[in-house]
Amino acid sequence: MKTMEADVVVIGGGPSGLSATAQAAENGMDVVLLEKANVVGGAANMGMGPLGIGTKQQSDMMVDIDVERAFKKFVEYTHWRTDARLVKKYFENSGETIKWLEETVGVEFAGAYKYFPKSDATWHIVAVNGGIGRNGGAIMNKHLAEYAEENGAKILFETPAKKILKDDEGKVCGVLAVDKDGEEVQVNCKAVIVATGGAGDNPEMIKERTGYIFHGNMFNFAIPGLKGDGIRMAMEAGAATTPMNVEMMYILPNSDFGPDCIPSVFMQPNLMVNQLGKRFINEEEMQNTTFCGNAISFQKGAVGYSIIDSRIAKQYMKKGVDVVNFVHHPEDVADFQEAVEASIANDNPDVVMADTIEELAQKLGIDPEALEDQVDEYNEMCESRDTLFYKDPKFMKPIEKAPFYAAKFRPGAYGTLGGIKIDEDAKVLDDNWDPVPGLFACGTDTCTIYGDSYMFLLPGNTMGYCVNTGRFAGDSAADYVNDLED
Amino acid sequence: MANVNLIIDGKQISAPEGQTILNAALDNGIYIPHLCSHENLHPTGSCRMCVVEQQGVEGVVTSCITKVQEGMVINTKGETAEAIRKLSCDFMFKTHPAECTGCPKFGKCQLQSLSQYVGDTGRKLKANTISVKADETNPIILHEMYRCILCGRCVRVCEEVRGVGAIKFEKVDGRERVVIDGDSLKDANCRFCTACVEVCPTGSIREHKELAEKLIGKTREEGFVPCRYGCPAHIDVPRYIRFIKEGNYPAASAVVREKVPFPHSLGYICVHNCEMECKHQELNEAISIRNLKRYAVEHDDDSWKANTFHKSPTGKKAAIIGGGPTGLTAAYYLAKLGHSVTVFDAGEKLGGQLRYGIPGYRLPREVLDREIEEILAAGDITVKTQTRIENAPKLLEEGYDVVFVALGTHSGSKLPMKGNDLKGVQVNAAFLREFEEGCASVGKKVVVLGGGNVAIDCAGAAKRLGAEEIHMACLEAYDAMTASDEERAWALEEGVVLHNKKTFLEILDDGNGNVDGVKIQGIKSFYFDENRKSHLELEEGSEEVLPADTVIFAVGQRPEISMDPADFGLELTHGNYIATHGDSGETSVPGVFAAGDAVTGTQSVIKGIAFAREAVIAMDRYLGGDGDIEEKLAPDQVRDPHIGVIEGFGDLKREEPIVVPVPERIVNYKTCGPMDQGFDDERAAREARRCLQCDLRCDLAPQKFWGDYAKSGEEA
Repeated sequence: MKTMEADVVVIGGGPSGLSATAQAAENGMDVVLLEKANVVGGAANMGMGPLGIGTKQQSDMMVDIDVERAFKKFVEYTHWRTDARLVKKYFENSGETIKWLEETVGVEFAGAYKYFPKSDATWHIVAVNGGIGRNGGAIMNKHLAEYAEENGAKILFETPAKKILKDDEGKVCGVLAVDKDGEEVQVNCKAVIVATGGAGDNPEMIKERTGYIFHGNMFNFAIPGLKGDGIRMAMEAGAATTPMNVEMMYILPNSDFGPDCIPSVFMQPNLMVNQLGKRFINEEEMQNTTFCGNAISFQKGAVGYSIIDSRIAKQYMKKGVDVVNFVHHPEDVADFQEAVEASIANDNPDVVMADTIEELAQKLGIDPEALEDQVDEYNEMCESRDTLFYKDPKFMKPIEKAPFYAAKFRPGAYGTLGGIKIDEDAKVLDDNWDPVPGLFACGTDTCTIYGDSYMFLLPGNTMGYCVNTGRFAGDSAADYVNDLED
Repeated sequence: MANVNLIIDGKQISAPEGQTILNAALDNGIYIPHLCSHENLHPTGSCRMCVVEQQGVEGVVTSCITKVQEGMVINTKGETAEAIRKLSCDFMFKTHPAECTGCPKFGKCQLQSLSQYVGDTGRKLKANTISVKADETNPIILHEMYRCILCGRCVRVCEEVRGVGAIKFEKVDGRERVVIDGDSLKDANCRFCTACVEVCPTGSIREHKELAEKLIGKTREEGFVPCRYGCPAHIDVPRYIRFIKEGNYPAASAVVREKVPFPHSLGYICVHNCEMECKHQELNEAISIRNLKRYAVEHDDDSWKANTFHKSPTGKKAAIIGGGPTGLTAAYYLAKLGHSVTVFDAGEKLGGQLRYGIPGYRLPREVLDREIEEILAAGDITVKTQTRIENAPKLLEEGYDVVFVALGTHSGSKLPMKGNDLKGVQVNAAFLREFEEGCASVGKKVVVLGGGNVAIDCAGAAKRLGAEEIHMACLEAYDAMTASDEERAWALEEGVVLHNKKTFLEILDDGNGNVDGVKIQGIKSFYFDENRKSHLELEEGSEEVLPADTVIFAVGQRPEISMDPADFGLELTHGNYIATHGDSGETSVPGVFAAGDAVTGTQSVIKGIAFAREAVIAMDRYLGGDGDIEEKLAPDQVRDPHIGVIEGFGDLKREEPIVVPVPERIVNYKTCGPMDQGFDDERAAREARRCLQCDLRCDLAPQKFWGDYAKSGEEA
């Protein structure tokens, strides 16, 4: 067994762990970061940027948002089922954190953006090649890692932590890990920060803690390695646990790695029905992936079918889609027909094509009469107005011309949320709400601020929470270590 | 070779002549992104990630194919170079999915890491994804070629390094793709070495999910070579199979001897955990590892003896209670370590279960005797047979410095049921001991109760003693029986009738105190709960009677010691098993160690040997030694990575051993030799060729990421 010494050990190298590492190192701590994978960034390497409120980007772009307005909106949305002190501290610091990322860490931002029209422009997109691109989170994470290393932190890759060690007085005193050669590594330290990013890749824990069945009624991203290790280790070390949830959205489970035109076209606000053949949502809300995910998971079989006809498809292929967002924004969808045919040829169960509504219903397992009735009713409303859910008339396009296309959307999630109880300083609390000495946690393992549904109206929330609570944890751990030494 | 001097990123560097700029930079802790380049492959310079700027040269140079030259000034971070890298990255993402969601390689993907490093997460150019289905139809290897970025590492490793060429580049519908050179990997004569999996930078070529899951938490050596890891003693299986293939049988035998002192006996009777882990099962059947081992040992020339270690006498005395495989393994290594060893055994002869539990028609006694003789010649070993030790710690008082308890489980048990004391009821351990001693007898109709290997041996022995009708009944379903497939098949060949999923209600009395039959009943399910308590659900109305004059209980064995811990002097557990702490076999009394069946319950010879080795290490340290019992008995082996093509490799069938047929092996069991005759030369040669050589993968360089280089640079 190898042994190492450090002031602070951080478990997990996503944005929360990296921010915690960077912050603690900046505060003069000797920090060791234990990462399971070969790459820093974790799930956030698929993300685009963190939330910020009151930033230079926002004032440059004349965005009207401040901490008070955002806070009020947030507690309204969550009905105060949240840790209001933590939310307030997070929002209050989020602007300074963007500045820190930009000026101190070296992250370039393309600006502050909305995800969809009803949301606020809190999303600070990390610049890719100087502009808006995908997965800028990966670039931010690299900068954080480099900044942490410049400040003396050590990052150990392929070295998963196994256990948090405590001394006779109940204070955290080290972490046991295993390195890539299978050798045990014990890092002795004074404080531990848990930041392992939840349990998205642990179907048993998801079932036990949220009730969702992976690949039954939940098709979350199972980012390899997100096993809920940190939640388990923290609980073993005395942490109280919190209810866990998923960060709901909706997804075509088998089409994410295919051409972007398929999700882009089927996420347009046309006709969406459930297994009974009935509409269940104002399709404009399909832009709000949380709301639409909630609505789908509420349906029979947890499935929603998005249906278009070939006139709509042709129009999209020729002129582009009606609405775009930051994730799905193809330049054009001219390859839609070809992509659908290829998907069907490759046995992709997400996509279906048929010459009649009856045949489409049969392929989707819906009662043909029910679907025909719904389509007739919908088409009639296209000529007047949507008297059922009041959709904007400009998105009311009749489903008339064969062939017809449908896609089967299922509830998805980026991962899990919550599990470890912390206070607004990222101190881990026990069942009596007393801090576990030397134990801190941040990021998704602790994120229960959203109440029942992900707060999509202030985009960038998850990564913003991670980076900011990561910094709180880094600060608190450094203060704790300094106090021990005094 | 001479060195040349050059400057990279302002750093003065001295690099061997002929080295590429890329390798010179990496060796000096300067990371240059690269993808198509791989340590085991010839560079092709195709991915353009490793371009750098050279003073005095227009544009960029490709650092993986350009050699260092005296006086070169290289800038790895120039604007043009970085712009080209970003563009190259964009080109890779033209075919690769834009989203990482759902990719099992997330976090371990070189493309992901690289795009993070160059600061271009791709997706600037219009995507042009490869529309091709996931192919899960091949054994071991999974293709999801819609993730392929055409770096060609898989094609090159298969062709250049392995000399197989099972995959190739081909234009399909006008698009360049990596495809199988045939209808399937088997058809393409793939050797299933998984080199392609090892070098693939993305999630395109991987192991099947279940195989990939087995790698989690293991080192490369452990994960890639499952047979060696599966063997409790970690015998280096692929190494000795390779020696057999090369015709060097003494070397092969020496490899086995590096870990076990009973190689020949194991060649007959090992339960071969290695074969249960063998990846060849994904193609058809496991390699017949045990028979290959036996063949090698049968062709040994004792040349290993020249390399074996013998340490000088330490003056320490070790007592070993039990002369079975576990005790004798400990005796062997302790004596080689220079300790003076005394082996106590209650039986007439040494060998334990090898002699008194496994019938002679399966393990010839001359083989066993010769191996025991060899062990006893290893050093200062005194044998005291027919000596039962009543109290282990007492030996410490008698002057022994350490005591090793390896009593085994020689006491069979009867189930508590009506009729279990009738005349004609026997118990496995005693029955097999009597069979060995030549004084066992059975009637005409025998019922064996139990479904393990010992039960099969009881049935086989009964058959050879003249029983006409033999029935075996057990709780387990056919597939859940603990007896090995092979032994079960042999028993069926010999006419034993199996009754699976039965519980035993009572043994019937003929009215004169003799066994008349066994009443059994079908069960729907049975399981043990967390307290090891069994739960049965019976099938209504399924009672039946198996007529019998002899009943043999084969339902487990226990150590032959008292349940009262005060008697034997050690803390006990689960009744009368010896309690130990950790892997080293420490008992409740310092200086007394224990291992084998008396600790774990009846297991296997190979486990007993493996545990004995662990205990020896601990005992030697306890006695002041270094605990080092590793030895290299075989000569060096060159693992040739170039395995070439074998026509029809994937469908080569497992070789079956030569087995003496029924009734010859029954009627003449005393004279026909062992029933299992093992392999002849042809069978051994054919079988050794089937090995997938999983260990070759360990020789391929592990994939590195920018974080790895940053660190190694720091250390340098």
